[in-house]
Amino acid sequence: MLPDTSSLSTVNTMPTGRLAAMLALALQLARRDLRNRYLGSFSGGAWAFLQPLVQLAVYSFVFGYIFKQRLPGADAPGYVPFLIVVLWPWTAFSEALSRATTAIQDNASLIGKVALPRTALVLAPVMASFAIHGAGYIGLLLVMWLGGVGVLPAGLVLMLPALALLFLLALGLALLLSSLQVFVRDIAPALPQLLMLWMFLSPVFYGRYVMPESARPWFDLNPVSGFAEYLRFVLLGMPAPGLTAYVCSAVAVVLALGVGLFVFRRLQRHFEDFL
Amino acid sequence: MSVLVEARGLGKCYPRVFRRSDRLRALLALLAGRASGETTPVLQNIDLSVARGQSLGLIGDNGAGKSTLLKLLTGVLTPTHGSVRVNGRVGALLELGAGFHPEYSGRDNIAMSATLQGFSAEELNARLAEIIAFADIGHYIDEPVKHYSSGMVVRLGFAIVAATRPDLLITDEVLAVGDESFQKKCIRWMEEYLEQGGTLILVSHSMYHIQKLCRQAVWLRQGRMQACGDVFDVTQAYLAYHERKSAGEAAPGRNLEAVRGLEFHVRGMRVNGEEAEALPALEQGAALRVEATIASRDGRVPVVNVGIARADGTPVYGVSSDMDGVQPAPTLDGDFCIVLHFTELPLLPGSYTIRVHPLDSEGLRLFDTVERTLTIKGRSPEMGLVRLAHVWEHAAPLSRSRGE
Repeated sequence: MLPDTSSLSTVNTMPTGRLAAMLALALQLARRDLRNRYLGSFSGGAWAFLQPLVQLAVYSFVFGYIFKQRLPGADAPGYVPFLIVVLWPWTAFSEALSRATTAIQDNASLIGKVALPRTALVLAPVMASFAIHGAGYIGLLLVMWLGGVGVLPAGLVLMLPALALLFLLALGLALLLSSLQVFVRDIAPALPQLLMLWMFLSPVFYGRYVMPESARPWFDLNPVSGFAEYLRFVLLGMPAPGLTAYVCSAVAVVLALGVGLFVFRRLQRHFEDFL
Repeated sequence: MSVLVEARGLGKCYPRVFRRSDRLRALLALLAGRASGETTPVLQNIDLSVARGQSLGLIGDNGAGKSTLLKLLTGVLTPTHGSVRVNGRVGALLELGAGFHPEYSGRDNIAMSATLQGFSAEELNARLAEIIAFADIGHYIDEPVKHYSSGMVVRLGFAIVAATRPDLLITDEVLAVGDESFQKKCIRWMEEYLEQGGTLILVSHSMYHIQKLCRQAVWLRQGRMQACGDVFDVTQAYLAYHERKSAGEAAPGRNLEAVRGLEFHVRGMRVNGEEAEALPALEQGAALRVEATIASRDGRVPVVNVGIARADGTPVYGVSSDMDGVQPAPTLDGDFCIVLHFTELPLLPGSYTIRVHPLDSEGLRLFDTVERTLTIKGRSPEMGLVRLAHVWEHAAPLSRSRGE
């Protein structure tokens, strides 16, 4: 009798079959999450697009009018496109992290009752966040391009690898944080504050060049800088980040995935004992 | 026959976490690849092998580790010691509503469960109608599961498992929640599934269900395997254990010195020629020979009473020699001896106690008591204590057999 590769609880299934089953489950979970996130709300799915738009309006009002954020370079586009290009990926990233960190804890009713690949529980919210904000991002970029804001068409393709890497960075950190959260419950409450701090330390609302000369090289150490400046480079034609920034971002992705997977694998067999 | 499930030296321990710092210490230990400190064992050293087509009942007290064992077999929990190998697709019904999300509709939960079982969207669509028909919960299928009664939750859960036709079906006590007709439907389905070569592991506190559906049984006691083997042997041993338990503390031990001063005492008791307290198990319908030797202080002839009671103390039969107009005959040593024969013991399988009492010559005062434990083995599913002679009339032979 041939081993059944569709089985989840079978020990001797082929790794590819297990991976496929895990992905299928994560997709199903993500789809359910998306469908139900806005199910109970009055305006339904419209919130998915409305909320970031409102957020954008607030931020551009606060930073564009109240704080009078200096416009980047004379030939560059205005502040709103400048903000959109980075704010959306950041929102996807930070939302993925904050949702995925409690993923194992929130699904305690599944763990210990149903046999399932546990990575899927973490992958699902990351996928859901990137799917919904990625769709909004691409939609907004297309609108900007059609509306004559200087979005470079080639950038629409060139940004995809950056988004994919950002996704992996989020996934790696999510695996790490979600498994630690099972043991030490202090991570989830601290995370929003840390993410806020990280956002303001990253060139999201401002460019690196508004900072004093001495502070600028330090931005290379923040993996988000490489992503933010690359996106502004390919989409808006702003100056590209240096090699150091690229290397730091790439190392961060590899490190996050490696450490995240290692810690998650080591701890996952003990989740049920500590939930 | 191929082996479907194999467990070797299986054990599960839970960590003892009392203080907040314990969690942090456990985390650091686990990250370093060490064990997580103090643990409470709930299951120890289980060796189990289930062949394809076998049906295994799992019995034991509450907290004996039955559900933990099932969870280890299904892969829901990871074993602390030992290993489990499952060579097939497992369908499990472990806890009431496990895997169901209360906010989502029955239909959504079917889709989710099917994905968990590894089914694709096409396979699911092909079986959706079958699942909904089996669950038979009407318009509730489109309502959130939180509005379901517990019976509906079980209906839905069983319908999904049934539709996926697993190689191995594992069900915990949940079926007891279903109503009479649904339980019957499930049992019919499981019988059919077994006839078609399916494999079943069933946990139940209903020995009737276990004996009806399973050929093998395992009795777990305090996390260890107490007995394992033919379903009738194991369930009878388990029931006898319960009967002894509910009989409470056994009668206070016989004080030989005090007894010797009495007018009569039992000098010896042999059952089927055996002097020992623990007798070899008897087949149902076998012969029983009880021999009692009574010492008489004053040389008077005693009346001998022999009684049989179930292990929980329920009397089954009692008779004394004077009722039948006989009395023990003197032996060469000055004692009195009598032998009671049951040619075909009609006791049903189970555990019993045989007691011998000497009474005074008038049969009024009872002196000493000596007892032996007797186990009757057999495969009879009849209920009660003894088989009463009976004949069916106006009956035709049974058409549906349980297929060996």
